Amino acid sequence: MDVQVAVEARDVRKRFGSVTALDGLTLTVSRGEIYGLLGPNGSGKTTFIRTLAGLLRPDGGDVHIFGALPRAAVSSGAVGYMTQAAALYGELSVDENLRFFAALEGVTDVGAHVEDALRRVDLLDRRRSTVSTLSSGMRTRVSLAATLLHQPRLLLLDEPTVGVDPALRREFWEHFRSLAASGVTILVSSHVMDEASRCDRLGLIRAGRLLAEGTARELVARAGTSDLESAFLALSAAPA
Amino acid sequence: MSLHRAGAVARRIVLQFRRDRRSLALLFVAPMVVLTLVGVLWGSAATNTVRVVAAGDVDPQVLEALRGTEIQLSALDRDAALEELRAGHADAMIEIADNAATVTVEGSDPTRTAAIVGQVEGALIHLILDVPLTAFVKVSYLYGGPDYSLLDYLAPVLIAVFAFFFIFLLSTVSFLRERTSGTLERLLATPLTRGELVAGYMGGFALFALLQALVILAFTVFVLKVQYRGNLATIFIVEAVLVIGAVSLGLAISAFARNELQAVQFVPLVLLPQVFLSGFLVPVDQLSDVLRAISAVLPLTYANEALRSVMVKGYALTDPLILRDIGILAAFALLMAVAAVLSIRREVA
Repeated sequence: MDVQVAVEARDVRKRFGSVTALDGLTLTVSRGEIYGLLGPNGSGKTTFIRTLAGLLRPDGGDVHIFGALPRAAVSSGAVGYMTQAAALYGELSVDENLRFFAALEGVTDVGAHVEDALRRVDLLDRRRSTVSTLSSGMRTRVSLAATLLHQPRLLLLDEPTVGVDPALRREFWEHFRSLAASGVTILVSSHVMDEASRCDRLGLIRAGRLLAEGTARELVARAGTSDLESAFLALSAAPA
Repeated sequence: MSLHRAGAVARRIVLQFRRDRRSLALLFVAPMVVLTLVGVLWGSAATNTVRVVAAGDVDPQVLEALRGTEIQLSALDRDAALEELRAGHADAMIEIADNAATVTVEGSDPTRTAAIVGQVEGALIHLILDVPLTAFVKVSYLYGGPDYSLLDYLAPVLIAVFAFFFIFLLSTVSFLRERTSGTLERLLATPLTRGELVAGYMGGFALFALLQALVILAFTVFVLKVQYRGNLATIFIVEAVLVIGAVSLGLAISAFARNELQAVQFVPLVLLPQVFLSGFLVPVDQLSDVLRAISAVLPLTYANEALRSVMVKGYALTDPLILRDIGILAAFALLMAVAAVLSIRREVA
């Protein structure tokens, strides 16, 4: 196992009844890399991320995270998973939510870690607020803070900036950049092109298969288009 | 199994629940309101007076003989007497001719009919023998007593039904919310195991369930003044094991519902068979073989038997019957906890 590899997926297959969600997906993500999963709705992005989070067992193929099976990697605290919709307890305060997730992840010195995570998402002044009273953007920030608490080595972000305003989106990407600079690997799914262009590498998937992979510039050049959005549309429409 | 993680889940449930005032009211106030109503209904001595109309002339001696009994006799002509019966103003019509009595009753309610016929027959024997019935029938009580009301007999079962019902409902809906709001998925993507999650839920809800059991018990004994013979601690232990089973059953059942409306529909399915077949309305040994077989797998059957034996008959915790019932309730709780764990689907990758 290459020590530089964070995620290695080989020929991963997953079906839900008659629907094929993953159809032999193969990709590798290096440590400290921000890898963007691009694809239309229903292309298998979320299924792949849920597989990496140890929530789904593939029907075929292999998935390894830092050389371990996904559930083992999650159990060791190596993985942080941010779901599409903020998964928080509305009746509890921001602080109580974070303390709860910190306890599940076995975080020691909870107070300091909660404070640090809140500072990162700029919500220190709202720590006593009840989550149900926060705006959706703030809830997304709390959700990100909850994912960062145990300092995971791999962050799985499933469309993290859906419903987030452009200013906050920029802030998020600054966080992601600084995390990647400190060695954290980030796998992010998206269909926002502005966001995709910020990734180190992109994997374009359709019908559960990898159609193309490379930097944003490489994909644009390969599609022979002027921008990433057109490249995405051209490559998605091309026969598999 | 990490007690630290299970404890974190339990703490979170306690925190959430403490803020949910409506659910707290449902848990603690609702049983008291219903018990008070039941107490007023069943706690007072029922009026057993039977209104009998005699068709035709009645011997004044008969009227004299019935004075002081629970038979209220009046005389009318036959048509008027029948009209009284039809209108519901009388319970029975009696005709005496040629030393034979014919009793006509309204007859639509079998229980009431049996009681009326029994009373009238008793009164007729009393008349024929010309001695008060109490002169040769002396009643002594193994358990209970002449001042025992229906409430005293039913209170142990009511305690079990309320404790089971409210906790089952709350744990079903709470866990369903966890499943549908996306938080369950988030929890399963942490080191938390399914067993720890179920243990945490059982711990958190058991705390409220036990508090509720304590409140219901105290209310029944000290406010409704239900008579009891056994040890209060024994009653509490039986209740505790029962409600822990109710929490696990709620968690497992929530897997079969997609939304809260569906979850609520499971309540009659789970509760009604237990109300009908656990000895609440009809004693278990009077059920048919098929119904008795169903009753044998219902937790409330064992809770009722144990609670009634302790409260009415004064059985001790160490009595083999009580120990057996507690053992069966504990086994049910364990079985349901395993079912709850299995109902949380995580296809471990």
